[in-house]
Amino acid sequence: MSIAEKTPATPPAQTPATPQAAARPTVPRKAPSGRTLLSFVLPPLVVLVIAVALWQALISLFGVPKFLVPAPLDVLAEIGPAIGTLVEPTLVTMGEAYGGFLLAAVVGFAVAFVMARWNVAERGLYPYMVLLQTIPIIAVAPILVVWLGPGPTTNTVVAAMIAVFPVTANTLTGLKSTDRNLVQLFAMAGASKRYEMSVLRIPYALPYVLTGLRIAAGSSVIGAIVGEFVAGIGGGQGGLGYVITSTAQQLLMPRLFLAVIAASCVSLLLFGLVRLVEVLALRRWHESAMSSDD
Amino acid sequence: MTTAVQADLVRFAGVTKTYSNGFTALAPIDLTIGPGKVVSIVGPSGCGKTTLLRMAGGLSSPTTGELSIGSTQNSYVFQDPTLMAWRNVLANTELVSRIRKVPRAETRRRAVEALRLVGLENVQKSLPRELSGGMRMRVSLARALASEPDLMLMDEPFAALDEFTRDRMADELIRLWRERRFGVLFITHSIREAVKIAHEVVVMASGPGRIVEIVESPSPPGTDPDAARDTDALDETVKYIGARLAAA
Ligand SMILES: Nc1ncnc2c1ncn2[C@@H]1O[C@H](COP(=O)(O)OP(=O)(O)O)[C@@H](O)[C@H]1O
Ligand SMILES: [Mg+2]
Repeated sequence: MSIAEKTPATPPAQTPATPQAAARPTVPRKAPSGRTLLSFVLPPLVVLVIAVALWQALISLFGVPKFLVPAPLDVLAEIGPAIGTLVEPTLVTMGEAYGGFLLAAVVGFAVAFVMARWNVAERGLYPYMVLLQTIPIIAVAPILVVWLGPGPTTNTVVAAMIAVFPVTANTLTGLKSTDRNLVQLFAMAGASKRYEMSVLRIPYALPYVLTGLRIAAGSSVIGAIVGEFVAGIGGGQGGLGYVITSTAQQLLMPRLFLAVIAASCVSLLLFGLVRLVEVLALRRWHESAMSSDD
Repeated sequence: MTTAVQADLVRFAGVTKTYSNGFTALAPIDLTIGPGKVVSIVGPSGCGKTTLLRMAGGLSSPTTGELSIGSTQNSYVFQDPTLMAWRNVLANTELVSRIRKVPRAETRRRAVEALRLVGLENVQKSLPRELSGGMRMRVSLARALASEPDLMLMDEPFAALDEFTRDRMADELIRLWRERRFGVLFITHSIREAVKIAHEVVVMASGPGRIVEIVESPSPPGTDPDAARDTDALDETVKYIGARLAAA
């Protein structure tokens, strides 16, 4: 359960003076004014500008050859000529990673559900979940290539294999750490196991599930690219992993950098989507999704 | 619900409890809770108070002895409010009736009535985190009341509250009791609270868990006008129980 992030319990809320104050907060919620938005965006932006400027300066200063480290301007200049060759691979990797992510989400949740619902299932399955996590996937990828052939299917499966464990581990933690007293309350009132699962345990576990999905978002992109490294191009169009290996062999450094940036964007987009769902689903009741002035 | 002749809500006769690890939490216990009686329990931590309460609620069975449970509807109130953070106050209050498949309209009526009793009719749509600690505890009380219990099992229900709120909650419990006359088994660390609230105070000791004495309260909840409270008699009883606890 090493991957499971701790999801803290909701802390006591501030004490409103009257019931009315609690029902209708007298202080209106602060809209994200230009000023606050700027205070979020500006610091990282400044760091980025400084870093890029430093990068450019060092390369100009020491005359580092382009085929070793491209300067930011070289990378920028490469966008025009390379864009046509990068769009397709980005879409391929995206499909593999997101497909693997969805597969991992569904399978990971289902396995955790079964494990939480039936103790026998947990005892039977848990060792294999741990085993799955400890197997270096990169070592298994060639086996999958033999079985499934090189190409997107294999890469999707590799992505799912890497992403499934955090989903299962976190979901299971959530489903099993439900407030003991609430569980007791349900039992005393005569709730069925099914009712307890759907009304109590699953909603309680939701923040944990989403934490698992957030980790899985990053893992699935790694999985897809690892798959592409090993499985290569297959019959059709290669993904970003293929572009990265081939441009590295040819020392096409600016293009290689662009491929890496594209891969990061694929990852970032998925991460952002999960985070958006998290905030929308939890913002009213869970600490992890509240703005800091709540 | 209350008829003239009624069986005792709970009767312990020579009940002991030894856990599966061999630890004896309770030596023979004899204790009866009559209908509508408020009984509080004080004793050092680990003396088996919670064990006793769980047995009274049918959540755990005695190792030896005889336990008869006459109550038809228990409600358990925990030290923490124990609410579903993602459901609003009304939904939390309706929980037990919903599980029991009480018809919708009746479920709603009971919950709204219970919330009115605890003074929370105005925050039905609020989420628990939008309430103060005292208000959340009142939601917990309302949830218990909404299931229309004849026995309330309360395990240090106000222990997490500040002293001021805690005193008010105790008064509120007495007021609710006057309206509904349910039986109460009430665990507390505060001797004064125990005496103030109950007909009888069960004084317990540990090693093994046992009842040292059952003390009558000089200010049982049914009798008094407010004037009868905080008298010398109450102080004396508190002092007496304190001495009994220290000696045990
Ligand atoms: N499930 C259990 N298994 C073994 N020992 C237990 C269990 N529950 C409670 N005990 C032990 O029984 C004793 C009484 O516990 P409890 O009834 O919770 O005490 P209290 O509520 O008075 O603090 C304690 O020593 C506790 O460690
Ligand atoms: Mg206890």
